[in-house]
Amino acid sequence: MLRKIATNRRQFWDYIMGNMAAFIAIASTALFLAIILFMWGESRPIWVLQGFNFVGGTEWNPVGHPPQLGIASMIAGTLWVALGAMVLAAPIGFGCAIFLAEFAPVWLARILRPILNILTGIPSVVYGFLGAAVLVKFFEKTFNQASGESLFCASLVLTIMILPFIVANSESALRAIPREYRQSALALGVSHQYLTIKVLVPLAKKGMFGSLVLAFGRAAGETMAVLMVAGNNLLMPTAWFDKGEPIPALIALEVGSAEVGSPHYQALFASGLVLIIFIAAINLFTNLLMQSTRNGGSWR
Amino acid sequence: MIIRRYLDFIWLSLFWASGLLILLVLSAMLAYLIWRGGPALSLEFLTASPRGIPLGAQGGVYPAIKGTFYLVLIAVVTAGIPGIITAIYLTEYGMQSSLKEIVNLTVQCMAGIPSIITGLFVYAFLVVQLKWGMCLMAGGIALGIMVLPVIVLTTRDAFLAVDNNYRWLGASLGVSRGYMFLRVILPQSVPAVLSGLLLAMGYAAGATAPIMVTAAVISSNSSGAWFEPVMALPYHLYILFSEHTSMDKAYGTALLLVLLLLVVNIIALWIRSWQGRDFHNDFRPK
Repeated sequence: MLRKIATNRRQFWDYIMGNMAAFIAIASTALFLAIILFMWGESRPIWVLQGFNFVGGTEWNPVGHPPQLGIASMIAGTLWVALGAMVLAAPIGFGCAIFLAEFAPVWLARILRPILNILTGIPSVVYGFLGAAVLVKFFEKTFNQASGESLFCASLVLTIMILPFIVANSESALRAIPREYRQSALALGVSHQYLTIKVLVPLAKKGMFGSLVLAFGRAAGETMAVLMVAGNNLLMPTAWFDKGEPIPALIALEVGSAEVGSPHYQALFASGLVLIIFIAAINLFTNLLMQSTRNGGSWR
Repeated sequence: MIIRRYLDFIWLSLFWASGLLILLVLSAMLAYLIWRGGPALSLEFLTASPRGIPLGAQGGVYPAIKGTFYLVLIAVVTAGIPGIITAIYLTEYGMQSSLKEIVNLTVQCMAGIPSIITGLFVYAFLVVQLKWGMCLMAGGIALGIMVLPVIVLTTRDAFLAVDNNYRWLGASLGVSRGYMFLRVILPQSVPAVLSGLLLAMGYAAGATAPIMVTAAVISSNSSGAWFEPVMALPYHLYILFSEHTSMDKAYGTALLLVLLLLVVNIIALWIRSWQGRDFHNDFRPK
């Protein structure tokens, strides 16, 4: 009898703990929705008034009469910077991932991996600072420009920032390939390089592509580095070497000075909403892609 | 055949080059930081308040160090508890439910929220709507929201890394899941959880965007009062540079920040290496 009560009590507590854990898990998750809904709530007048002109307009003069609110040039700046970083980082990142997974001698891999870890640990403001203090100065000196800031500089800084993520994720994709492929290829007498290029990379391409897309999302949302080197110019960028002001930089620069409740304030929230939806869509897409790989999609 | 061999050689050198390039980039960055920032680091720099005109051109960064410390502490406390409990739910109680899948997916998405959005949210909600003003608490919570998914993911992986046989064994003996978790799973995953928390702290210490509109100011004594604004190292670096206050001090602050995070990361890796040692005399076959 006593034992039964004890068991029941234990089951009772287990039940309580399980439900509490579930409740807190739901609450943490709901935070994400709350953020999006909050941004929507704050920016609703903009969507009602302007609709998609907000996304398509290129004039940004939030304190004018009437205020002109179009973030097309910021969107273009964001995409340009992030795509540029992706294009620059892809070959180096994939090369390094293949190197680490297949070719690096053990001692060198032991040095390289912690170094990649350290690179992820360096805060973005330091990257931005170094980019602005070194890279921008370098461009000013070599090309005799009045100011060396440009979207290209921002892309270069972001490249270094997203490299470790690309390397780590692509390497684990390469390592996840079953050993049989390696063995049978080597048994056929092909060289290690041939095996890598023709067998391993095609097998891991989904994972590698996923790592690239995740890195793209990261680059698009990065604030400090971009803020310090992109030049913060509101005109529509037409070339990689133009100045621009990606959305995160716009928000960081203007939110402190925007009058609460004004169209300017609401427009900043609207641009934040655009950014977060864009990045969440990218993440969702990559996660689904990765999941289909894990569940045996292409090569199992 | 000869073409093939040339191709192989080219590929191999490309792979080596990309590996070495990363090595080069990091060492160049660190060396440059130490060369430019080293002279600025001194005892005075670490223990004095910023002085001079414009403010920060002389003196040190002590209030910024203190402010960053408080911010990180608040962040890790506010995010650590719900984060770890969420991870417990995901690994121990979630089973195969669709709720677990949703939580998992949302946490992944949350990890991708740009930090400036977190700052914007906290600014509008806590600073403006609840009228807290720029303050330590708001900044800490902003950083907490930012590191929450990091904590969930690292602790989840820490719990998942524990051999599943323990869970089956516990279930077959009729031990409740909560007991099983507290006495068997948790003791084995403590090092990984701790290192995850440390990594999250490092991540929070370096973040600028969430605090620049919610907590950080150019000058404050960072007393640690919850509703007072504070100074913070990353924001101080940003201000020193963007207001053209002092390049030497900026390099010094950058170096200090990097060294700080280096130490945190190394400690985290070191703690992680404890994983796998026996923390209690368990019944694992020796």
